[in-house]
Amino acid sequence: MTGPVGAGVTPPVVRPRDPDLSSEYRAPTTELEGQLAELWQVRLGLDRIGVDDDFFELGGHSLLAAELLVEIEQTFGVTVPATVLYLDPTVADLAAAIDESRAGSGACD
Amino acid sequence: MRLIPAPPGPDRPAPLDLADPAIHATDDPHAVWRWARAHAPVSWQPTGELGFWSVTRHADVRIVLRDHQTFTSERGTLLTLLGKPDPASGRQLAATDPPRHTRMRAPLHGQLDTAAVARHAPMIRARVTALLSDLPEEGVVDLAGIFNRLPVAVLSTLMGLPDADWDRLTRLTMMAIAPDDETWQLPRGPVATLQRAHRELFAYFQDQVRQRQRRGGDDLIGTLLALQVDGAALDPGAVLSNCYSLLLGAAVTVPNVPTAALLELARSGDYGRLSAAGPRLDLLVEEALRWASPANHFLRHTTRETVLGGVQLPAGAPVVVWLGSANRDESVFADPYVFVPDRQPNRHVALGGGAHYCIGHALARLMLTTVFDEFFARVAEVRPVDGVRHIRSTFAAGFTHAPVRVTRRTSACAGGAR
Repeated sequence: MTGPVGAGVTPPVVRPRDPDLSSEYRAPTTELEGQLAELWQVRLGLDRIGVDDDFFELGGHSLLAAELLVEIEQTFGVTVPATVLYLDPTVADLAAAIDESRAGSGACD
Repeated sequence: MRLIPAPPGPDRPAPLDLADPAIHATDDPHAVWRWARAHAPVSWQPTGELGFWSVTRHADVRIVLRDHQTFTSERGTLLTLLGKPDPASGRQLAATDPPRHTRMRAPLHGQLDTAAVARHAPMIRARVTALLSDLPEEGVVDLAGIFNRLPVAVLSTLMGLPDADWDRLTRLTMMAIAPDDETWQLPRGPVATLQRAHRELFAYFQDQVRQRQRRGGDDLIGTLLALQVDGAALDPGAVLSNCYSLLLGAAVTVPNVPTAALLELARSGDYGRLSAAGPRLDLLVEEALRWASPANHFLRHTTRETVLGGVQLPAGAPVVVWLGSANRDESVFADPYVFVPDRQPNRHVALGGGAHYCIGHALARLMLTTVFDEFFARVAEVRPVDGVRHIRSTFAAGFTHAPVRVTRRTSACAGGAR
């Protein structure tokens, strides 16, 4: 349940990344991966995100994924197939899909 | 859930974990419920490290379903969410209490009320006749295989989804409904199966929403996108979650009603006489709903201390109402374990009650009426055969396999019994 909007600002709770995740921590290597990891950090309330970490394993759920997709489209100006985030839910896969979408948009539109 | 044959088996006072899906597939929850209704109608049911108050009597079930101020839907409505926060709380219709719920529901209801769904009657009849077109003159058919396809075929028209996606959507809805069942389970197990189905459906609806945003549309998805609650549109997660819920709500429930009823009529030997007599389909549909009780339970949480069935419940307690139990309550239904095609009155709670009464009730009733009408017109006799298998689920009371031997009518009177 959500509280009343604007009724006092609660600082976002930032949790440390769970060391027991199935993925090893791998730092972002490109600017895009860095931007995406930051977006996830804010959305999930985590202190850091590895590019191979699974969105759902990090505590994401399907409703949050829907909002993240819209945010990604608005931030990067590209359309990413929804299956990428739902079925390959890592920063690395998402970055690859955005790159692909950017490369393809000139030729297709 | 296993629908017990008449006469019912002996009562079962022994504790049985009703939160275990296997119980509902292979054991006899009715024996437990019957004992509970007589001796402990509202009782604490432990499951693992958690537990819930189990509610079995018709009157108490109705109180829980109708009093949304005492029994909230915003902390999860299914046992799978017990002990976990529900991300859909306040966003999905089923997980939202009035007054917000009322404002979300009204526009959707406008597309699903009796007058609105009547416009779809020819489409529904065409879908049903297509499903029944391959019946052999004489032979074994799987009723579950036939009817499991109906809800997606009908809902996809109302939601504006392409016909080409029917098979995929049917498979995904079955994976989501019965992830414990080997028929649909992926090699990596039930949790992976449910996750895969859930995420594929969300991704699917996300792409559909995008199309609707580009091209517009006055279907149910378009309605969700246009919906304004207190001056604000639904957020993207809420739109998807409601798409998911509408499709699943129909897929879980509708197929199992004719399947359960026809299996019982085959078992009792009454099918031939009944189908030839031209029964009142409105009464038959209600009895089939009672008999099947395809949505088996709902979860609520108390918002304050309350007394239910003479039992003191604390605030914040999980409460599970068993619709299958309420619909066999001896104090409401005479001979509850007998399928009475013209039972009247029939105050079953198969479609829920109160603010969350099934939003698709008119559509469901039209689909079911059409199914019985067309089936009776084509099939002279239905006989039981071995191999009926129940869904392993605490929520979906139904069948993965329901083979019966059918004999077609010889006279060419297809096209409606009346």
